[in-house]
Amino acid sequence: MNRVLAFVWLMMVLVAGAYVAVRATEGLSLQTDLMALLPREARDPAVQRANDLVSKAVGRRVILLVGDQSRDVAVSGADRLEQALVRSGLMKTADERPSAEMIGRLIALYGAHRSGLLSAADRIRLQDGHADEIVTRALAQIYAPASPIDGRLLAADPFLLLPAFLADLPTSAGRLVPDGNRLVVSDRSGTWAFISGELLGEPLQLDFQDRFAAAYDAAVRDLQAVAPGASVRRLGALFYAHAGAREAMDEISIIGFVSMAAAVLLVILVFRAAWPLVLCVMAIGVGVLVALGATLLIFDQLHVVALLFGTTLIGAAVDYGLYYCAQSFSHRHMPRNRLGHVIAGLTLGLATSVVGYAAMALTPLSGLYQIAAFSVVGLTAAFLTVVLWFPWLDRLPPRRMSAMTTGLARLAWRFWMAPSLERARWAAAPLIVAVIVIGAWRMTVVDDVRRQQSLPRDLLAEQADVQRLTGLAGTPQFFLVQAPDRETALQREEALGDRLTGAIAAGDLAGWQAIARVVPSAKRQQENAALVRTRLIEPHLAEMRTTLGLAVPDESASGPVAAPQNFEPLTFEAVADTGAASLMANLIVSDRPGQVLHAVLLDGLVRADAVRSVARSLDGVRFIDPVDDLTNLFAQYRRQAMLLFALSVLFILPLIILRYGWRGGVMVTGAPVLAVGLTPFVLAAAGEELSFFSVIALVLVLSVGVDYAVFFAEEGEAPEPATMFAVLLAALTAVLSNGLLAWSRVQAVHAFGIAMLVGLVLAYVMAPLATRAKRRRQSAPSEAAS
Amino acid sequence: MIAPRMINRRMIDRRVFLATLAAATLPARAFAAPATLKAGEILRGRFTQDRYLKGFAAPIRSDGSFVLSAGQGLIWRVAKPFATTTVITPEGLVQVANGRELTRLSATRAPFLARLFDVLNAVMAGDWTQVETMFAVTRAPAGGAERLTLTPRRPEDAAASRIQSIAVTIDRFAQDVEIRRADDDYDRLAFVDQTVSAGPLSADEQTLFDSARS
Repeated sequence: MNRVLAFVWLMMVLVAGAYVAVRATEGLSLQTDLMALLPREARDPAVQRANDLVSKAVGRRVILLVGDQSRDVAVSGADRLEQALVRSGLMKTADERPSAEMIGRLIALYGAHRSGLLSAADRIRLQDGHADEIVTRALAQIYAPASPIDGRLLAADPFLLLPAFLADLPTSAGRLVPDGNRLVVSDRSGTWAFISGELLGEPLQLDFQDRFAAAYDAAVRDLQAVAPGASVRRLGALFYAHAGAREAMDEISIIGFVSMAAAVLLVILVFRAAWPLVLCVMAIGVGVLVALGATLLIFDQLHVVALLFGTTLIGAAVDYGLYYCAQSFSHRHMPRNRLGHVIAGLTLGLATSVVGYAAMALTPLSGLYQIAAFSVVGLTAAFLTVVLWFPWLDRLPPRRMSAMTTGLARLAWRFWMAPSLERARWAAAPLIVAVIVIGAWRMTVVDDVRRQQSLPRDLLAEQADVQRLTGLAGTPQFFLVQAPDRETALQREEALGDRLTGAIAAGDLAGWQAIARVVPSAKRQQENAALVRTRLIEPHLAEMRTTLGLAVPDESASGPVAAPQNFEPLTFEAVADTGAASLMANLIVSDRPGQVLHAVLLDGLVRADAVRSVARSLDGVRFIDPVDDLTNLFAQYRRQAMLLFALSVLFILPLIILRYGWRGGVMVTGAPVLAVGLTPFVLAAAGEELSFFSVIALVLVLSVGVDYAVFFAEEGEAPEPATMFAVLLAALTAVLSNGLLAWSRVQAVHAFGIAMLVGLVLAYVMAPLATRAKRRRQSAPSEAAS
Repeated sequence: MIAPRMINRRMIDRRVFLATLAAATLPARAFAAPATLKAGEILRGRFTQDRYLKGFAAPIRSDGSFVLSAGQGLIWRVAKPFATTTVITPEGLVQVANGRELTRLSATRAPFLARLFDVLNAVMAGDWTQVETMFAVTRAPAGGAERLTLTPRRPEDAAASRIQSIAVTIDRFAQDVEIRRADDDYDRLAFVDQTVSAGPLSADEQTLFDSARS
């Protein structure tokens, strides 16, 4: 029978393996977009699209400055660097330079519709009754030495309103100055030549990061071989992401290697054989393989976060293997007997884990759901592997435990049980209370993603240099303007713009880019035309003509005194037809009738809060902060995980009570819950911040903590040293393989590791409390301790 | 999103004009015994500008004074018909009237302003190659002075700037300049009372340059 089951299981594993292999050859599609972890209903497709668009504009942007004392070296160096990167096929030049013809067409178009076009400052001047300033300015320009004024321009636009409008058009050039075909900026150290690139890949994809970083490093080396004095400054999300990933990789490979090596060494030393290690690794391997196959089958796509955490949670399955293998230290020599002794504990351990994770599946958060599904399947598969295969593969000779090992294994149990330690136990109580009080007082919860990653100093310094030199600061925050039609969208942008002008004056913002600044709404053009007519032309034109000796020109529609009924506003379509549409592409999210969405981009955002509040009461205008959204996402996951975690304890309790009765149920559940409950206070008391990653660690601690407690409970009042040793071994390998991550400098990894470390130690220390559980049915240990 | 080029094209005429003006108001090595400006030296003088524009019954006349500082830029003060001051520095252009700033154009918006400085420096050093890359220069004696005629080399520059030619009469300093444009528009500038001093700038002048740079 068992042989048949083992064979059936082998077939199933092979099928899962084949399925995963097939999917892998198709290119295993792992989702990497963190926003995909949001609950579906909370995901606004408009915001999603806008985010994509803006992150394409901001996240895929790479800004490089090549500096040298010599202007020529800087410019030719920038040419060289840019060419090398473009040749690599990983980046294209982002600086779209419009053709002279297109600009000519656009200016001609603006000229034909000049009567409704006003710069923001001129509009305010007219509204506030300062038309005289515009008159004076026009005269100053006519008399100025550098003025390009001619007779035709003056006849059509005597107040020179159109040049002011043109100069007010948004640019994204910051302090950069065109010089030939390149933008440059100078400071005391020399000239800096500007390169703006758009990445042709996903900046968050690790292999793309590696390829781009390699191409960049090679290109810079190449440049500095030719121009040794040249220096390069860089700015871009990719560089941060790459540095973060590299740091995490470096650490995980170092810490990971050390901890895995330590765990492996421990297992080999303990068993004096590699076989148990092979068995345990196989159990986990089968677990991950089957979990991957099953989740791919269910969800079609797996999120990389779910894979990461799910695999970590399945790591707990190493315990199943260890419990079995540790039986070689008992007097049981037959595989069947060995399995028979642990199967009850294993089953209960699995059942509680499955029920616990199933509780986590009761969530609208797809990420948690995937983690739960992945873990349930994986743990079950690992369990089946241990139960069905291990007895057939068991080649472990019986061993004796040394006195020292036995002593170590009994230590935690003795602490709780030995009558002589009664006083020490009571002394621990005030200590625990103190930790809780201090912890509660110092507890801080951090969801801010910016805090989860340590930003490298050299990149921050280069970013500061780039921003100081160019005045450009890629701002990921933006406004999303939503309206039923384009005209309404433009009007809403203008209402927003009027308020942003105040934010700029207050120094909260350097500038903003919007379609409405290129094509004002028809309503605003009408207003402008009326303002010009009533506040400028009617009171001042005759006087102006007299001052300058300007003849009264022929009336024409585009002249300064266009009759109101002849007024024809400039349309977006007309501007787009000049070829300018491509320049505005990153401002248009959607222009479907009924659902027009425009983005309003921000330059040099200084105080996001102040700018956010500007749009608070405006219809159809929303401030979008992707970083904030991510922070909220983590907060949401953390709260959900905590809630479901509490729920899972309630789900586990009946299973335990069924086996150990009420009192036993409280003891067996109470020990790990106490450990998990104490952990945040210990962490907080030690000055650690809590985050989603700590909570995930606690979920894992509960899962293995229940296993430890169950194994003690299965033994009754006098547990076998072999079992206690198995629990010690399980706890040690878990601490080695997870707890060492506490030494990571990546905040997220550190938070996970330190919570694991503290939680596992506490769970291990608390576990012997479960021996006080009296089992309802059967089996006080039939044999005395060896 | 809209590259600065969009506006820059519009300004090309200004650039050409300013380059010429720079050449014109400066002592040129082209002629015998030209005055040269060393770093820190200042050229001061007075000007009269007549602007002949189509559609205007009479030329638009203005006069006033100018200050050209080798390191800093140009201050152009119109006294009549009404007081207005234009300050041009490598950072950009600022216009002030009645103590009020009317226009501020950064060099980003008007790159010709930044380029002007290169041209100014080149001319001061007697290096006409910079100017000659943009203009074909012909020279002819004119009484005791020399008359230079500059014609834009590139047709697109001529089209954008509408400038057909620039004529400058130079002896020790530039005496007069005539700029001819399409549509028979033209400007005539005459310079008098030009002196070179070692500086420093007056406090007032320094303040103007500083405010234009901030």
